[in-house]
Amino acid sequence: MRSYAAQRALLAVLQLAVLSVLVFVLTSLLPGDAAELRFTETLTPEQVARLRAELGLDRPAPERFVHWLGNVLTGDLGTSLISGGPVIDIVRSSIGATFVLTVATLAIVVPLAVALGIVMGTRENGRIDRAITSVTLALSAIPDFVIAVVLVAVFSLRLGWLPATWVGGDLLASPALLVLPVAVLFGRTVCLLSRQVRAGTINALHAEYVVQARRLGVPRRQLLLRHVLPNAAVPGVQELARTGDTLLGGVLVVEAIFAIPGFATALVDGVETRDIPTVQGLTLVLAVAALLINLTADLACNRLVPRTALLR
Amino acid sequence: MTLARVDDLRATAGSAILVDGVSFEVVAGEVTALVGASGSGKTTSALALLGEHGGGVRLDGRVEVGGEVVVDSNGRTQADVRGRVVAYMPQHPGSALNPARRIGTTLRELAKLHDGDVEEAVRVAQLPGDRATLKRFPHQFSGGQRQRVALAQALTCGPRVLVLDEPSTGLDSITRLQLVQELRELTGTGLGILLLSHDLDLVRALATRVVVLDAGRVVADVLPASPDLPATGTSTGGQPLLEAMNLSASLRPRGRDVVLRDVAVEVRAGACLGIVGRSGSGKTTLARCLAGLHERHTGRIRLDGEPLPVLRNRTREQTRRVQYVWQEVRGSFDERRPVDQQVARTAQRLRGLPAQQAREEAQATLARLGVAAITAARPPSRLSGGELQRAALARAVLANPDVLICDEITTALDDRGTALVLDLLTELKTRGTGLIWIGHDLGLVATVADQVLVLDEGRVVEQGPPATLTTEPHHELTRRLVAAARIGAPQSPPVLSIDTRSEPRR
Repeated sequence: MRSYAAQRALLAVLQLAVLSVLVFVLTSLLPGDAAELRFTETLTPEQVARLRAELGLDRPAPERFVHWLGNVLTGDLGTSLISGGPVIDIVRSSIGATFVLTVATLAIVVPLAVALGIVMGTRENGRIDRAITSVTLALSAIPDFVIAVVLVAVFSLRLGWLPATWVGGDLLASPALLVLPVAVLFGRTVCLLSRQVRAGTINALHAEYVVQARRLGVPRRQLLLRHVLPNAAVPGVQELARTGDTLLGGVLVVEAIFAIPGFATALVDGVETRDIPTVQGLTLVLAVAALLINLTADLACNRLVPRTALLR
Repeated sequence: MTLARVDDLRATAGSAILVDGVSFEVVAGEVTALVGASGSGKTTSALALLGEHGGGVRLDGRVEVGGEVVVDSNGRTQADVRGRVVAYMPQHPGSALNPARRIGTTLRELAKLHDGDVEEAVRVAQLPGDRATLKRFPHQFSGGQRQRVALAQALTCGPRVLVLDEPSTGLDSITRLQLVQELRELTGTGLGILLLSHDLDLVRALATRVVVLDAGRVVADVLPASPDLPATGTSTGGQPLLEAMNLSASLRPRGRDVVLRDVAVEVRAGACLGIVGRSGSGKTTLARCLAGLHERHTGRIRLDGEPLPVLRNRTREQTRRVQYVWQEVRGSFDERRPVDQQVARTAQRLRGLPAQQAREEAQATLARLGVAAITAARPPSRLSGGELQRAALARAVLANPDVLICDEITTALDDRGTALVLDLLTELKTRGTGLIWIGHDLGLVATVADQVLVLDEGRVVEQGPPATLTTEPHHELTRRLVAAARIGAPQSPPVLSIDTRSEPRR
């Protein structure tokens, strides 16, 4: 029998293949192209056609796909139709901010959500459980932009403690810039994650194997850390993968409000200007990231509870 | 030497009395049996040895284990004897293993907690003690080995009293015989065993002290005689109602992992076909093929001479005519709706009865099977395994089927429950229903069936009327099943060569 990791990795490769086709086909379906959009008002149709030929837009789709895929496999994501620079540069310049934002958010959310989840799970339907549930649910129910606007209004405009927008420079060099965006992203993610850990904890606590361990005299603390937590973490890790996907995709609202030049901003710019190579490149990078995150999460879950079977 | 003494134990939940004045002792090197129907207070009494009780339950009386008072008139005391003095083995111990932990990790943890000896426990539980085995996860063991792992866990704690809750549930009769011998060996080491069981044969074979419980009270200290099972009618002639020919089935596509090879069965109206075999012999797959649930099969299945497709292609009438009751029924009930409604639903859907009439019929059938109306009005989670098993039977019977397939439906039942079930089935038979009765216990099958078929590794190895089969068994397996059906009978149990080969499941 092949090992779980090998099977799962093979699946990831297949997914990657399907994904590259999807990215190309879907972006090709976008109406209009860069040549049309930029120059319709100044150029004659003949000139537009010539520009198309120069940009390679007139060749049939399958040919363009093979050409594109070949370039991608050699690490060349193509050239932006708008800036004329390589797409990889756009990826590099935009992913940094999003990455920092994601890591900072997760660094705060994960320990907190795990702790809250266990506290809630061990006190199922108790007063503390209900209190934490109410607060986290309320936080996740308020739309991002409302929280963002309120936070900016209070902490930036009224109290003047924290900067409201990014004005260039390195996010890491001035951590104060991160506080408000992370606070906005915090609400929803902490809620989803802690609820999964809570559910996992409750399930594990009721599981026969935990009851049996308790009956064999395993003390409570040891029971929670060694018998309950590895099982309770599984739904948490899966939720974490989803959270990671979303955060890396760049949360447009947050990037827009705090003027962070992140991934989502770059992607929206690309779509607006019909800069197909840029959109393709960014989407591909994002999809690969999501794939890797989910692969890691599945492998982690399998390590935690090895029973998890693939493709059954 | 008395290891545990329970004196006048009472357990109350609000105004309900669960256990009322129960007293018993567990003695070193001997087996004490608590016998009684499900719900008679066996488990509540036994868990009191650990000082454990359900939510809202109050313990009273006196429980002394290994010289420590665990329960006194004020309820549970501070003493913690769990693992160290008393180890409890739940009903399906193999499913009480943590999927996230290597077995060695848990064994070493328990040994450290209770100053126990892993190697010794593993040896007594008859597990290979090498490093590779201890590094495995529970899912890498077969079902039988998982039970041994659970036993090794309990023994690692070095307990003086071992509590076994229904250890013979779901075991085929050969494995059950093996269990008897192993428990004898355990008592030989000076361990005191408390055996909770409704398996009277097992109790007879092992116990030196017996306490019979009924509704929380001690009613006797000797074993009752087995209730007489109802006699069965004779088979009738005529065309077979349901027949299968050249039936082969596999677990994976394109005929890989074959579990059934060229099996032929036929059931006539008003007759009962018994199917016996060890676990894994293909009994359930055969039942699932006939019920239309197992689609990876080849061969012909006919109902009244008409081809019978797989379940999802059956007409409503065909679905009604062939009903299937299986062993693990909990998952087949919607956990949010009352059980009686779900039972009545069959009559509404398959027979088009109006709701009121269906409900009345459901309640009547459930009552006949010993499930009170007030119990049946609860959601499934509030019913015991035995009650739910009977509800599942009632649900199938309400379809008014022509063929009823019963797959090990009495394993969760005590003798009274079994008698009620057999009583109902006998009546169905006289009304012309064809029955297929699947069991691992040849003794019970022989009393129910007119014709018995012995399955081994997916093949029919022997068939014939039960009388012939039990008196002149030809095949080796049949001989072993016949011998195993005799444990607990007055004469000494037969000595068998025990099959200890077991391979890891991957």
